[in-house]
Amino acid sequence: MTNKIKLYHGDGGAKTNELISQVFLKYYGDGMESSLSDSFVFTTKEAKLAYTTDSFVVQPLFFRGGDIGKLAVCGTLNDLTTAGAKPIYISASFIIEEGFDIEDLRKIAQSMGEVCKKNGVKIVTGDTKVVEQGCGDGLFINTSGIGVVSEKFVPSEIEPEDEIIITGTIAEHGTAILLDRYDLSIETDIISDCCALNHLITNLDMELPYIKLMKDPTRGGIATVLNEIAVHVGYNVELIENNIPICPQVKGVNDILGIDPLYLACEGRMLLVVKKDFGCRVLHALKIWGYKDAQIIGHFAKENQRLVYLQTDIGGKRLLPSLEGQTVPRIC
Amino acid sequence: MMKTNQEYKKTIRIMEVCGTHTQAIAKSGIRSMLPKHVELLSGPGCPVCVTGEAYIDAAIRLLDDDNVILATFGDMLKVRGAFSSLSEKKGKDNIITVYSPEDAIALAQKKPNKTVVFLAVGFETTAPIIAATIKNVYENGVENLFFFTALKRMEPILRFILEDEGNQIDGLICPGHVASVLGGEAFRFVTEEFHLPAVICGFEAEDMKMGIYSLLDQIQGKSPVSFLNLYKPCVSHIGNKLAKEYMNEVYQIEDGYWRGIGKVSNSGLGLRGKYQRLDAKKKYLFSEEIISKPSACQCREIILGRKAPYECKQFGVDCTPETPLGPCMISSEGACAAHYRYGRGNL
Repeated sequence: MTNKIKLYHGDGGAKTNELISQVFLKYYGDGMESSLSDSFVFTTKEAKLAYTTDSFVVQPLFFRGGDIGKLAVCGTLNDLTTAGAKPIYISASFIIEEGFDIEDLRKIAQSMGEVCKKNGVKIVTGDTKVVEQGCGDGLFINTSGIGVVSEKFVPSEIEPEDEIIITGTIAEHGTAILLDRYDLSIETDIISDCCALNHLITNLDMELPYIKLMKDPTRGGIATVLNEIAVHVGYNVELIENNIPICPQVKGVNDILGIDPLYLACEGRMLLVVKKDFGCRVLHALKIWGYKDAQIIGHFAKENQRLVYLQTDIGGKRLLPSLEGQTVPRIC
Repeated sequence: MMKTNQEYKKTIRIMEVCGTHTQAIAKSGIRSMLPKHVELLSGPGCPVCVTGEAYIDAAIRLLDDDNVILATFGDMLKVRGAFSSLSEKKGKDNIITVYSPEDAIALAQKKPNKTVVFLAVGFETTAPIIAATIKNVYENGVENLFFFTALKRMEPILRFILEDEGNQIDGLICPGHVASVLGGEAFRFVTEEFHLPAVICGFEAEDMKMGIYSLLDQIQGKSPVSFLNLYKPCVSHIGNKLAKEYMNEVYQIEDGYWRGIGKVSNSGLGLRGKYQRLDAKKKYLFSEEIISKPSACQCREIILGRKAPYECKQFGVDCTPETPLGPCMISSEGACAAHYRYGRGNL
């Protein structure tokens, strides 16, 4: 590992994992053993709870389809959802750069409030710090959240032939951010998919027993997240390119920019690993609840090199390696 | 040097010389569908990865002047000079990534007290739009924008490769984008002078499959060696007349300096006549003479088609997209980076 932090240490790929394992886990011991999960689940006398935290440094702060505030609340709600938890309380901390426009802060606070209201959660504690001009990038937000875990969701061991579902079209957040950040003069209707997914737990109540794992493909996109899962479970993943839902505009923009959308963040989608033979049932339930673009995009294979492969639309096969290097800087 | 159909070896090597072909081949998984004895090699088709170290060093030196802003295509940031890359020198405002050379004009107008230097790299695909920008700047009197050129020409480097007696190339996929500008006829010499099967084909997976299969037919003697344009909707005989006029007006042919290869006569484009007023090389009095450093990653061998990326001992070991040793790994469209990302080894 290098002696200095580089941007790639924050991209959610192999280098982020290296940083976590070589610097943090070394000193934090058992509490953070499972770096795969975004929420920690623990049991009290009264309930099984999940606890999570996340920081948001996105630029631009306002993007098509959302802003840093909406992203922060949705991100935390979604991390709780991955643990099968219905969120109840959220904290919000702000690190604000001197000179930041209060009207902008008001807009961000408002959109956070709206997401909370819509999803029946409350921001109950927080913190505000101001740093000197030049010491921040406008605004950073940290949120944490607590939720009550559904008894029906019991993550279990992933086996070959287990199916992989995505709940909607991919790469919209990553593409929206790219368009805004670089001020590309491409006319498109693309907006970020940023939204809270906590209703999945209620919607899929009957199907939760067949769901072995949930993970939101944020930084690094579905390719990076599936690589993490493959490494963790010890089997290969085989994806089918034709089944991966992507809207034509997103595909087009990424073709122009030479970027692979499989590596771009979603902020309102969930990857589900479903017990073999139950994929169609879960997919059917998702469609009923309005996840119209949900698809079964692949499965786990019995080979154990822990690699992710893609069956291309012309019948070829290619490897999707874990994200290396900084292809897309700081999108969430 | 001249190959005949009957001499084809057990391994068939087809070279493509367009970064977009390299990427498209990798992304579509075409390699996995070909017989094992057919190899697809990537030639020097990515303008960023063939940009010399001295050019990067010179661009970095420009930043010593606080008044200078560099405007560059994103990929250039990763390219290393002798000591560092632009990415390592990037502050908040000293290097700005642009997606079109015309964005550099807007940047210069927004920062009238600064000198903006646009890093003009590319083949004949990018060169015309840069030429149009230069003409625009010259005619409309933008005083604070200059162009630091390392523009390359495709024909001389192809000749350089094909004249190399050690080259292992059995067929050539001609650069579709360059052909759409220069015209299909610009590449007929590959077949007529070097008797090498050659096709111009498009960038969709089916286009490339068709191109590869027609080359294989020729290489294996099933059809006569010929020059085929399979990309007629985009590539005409004579190409894009206007684009060529812009290039002829703004540029003159110069020697080009290629990373991992060195000087190739007449393979570069520099500013002509009155447009030299906008030439950053003239303004800052530096030349792009490069003494090519021997590269550990054997990029010369890879660019010349003598070796496939995975035949290099450093590939994926010391040389990765994150720590590239040479040109082939630098750009995401470079031969080694594409292999690394989409299909290591024999996939």
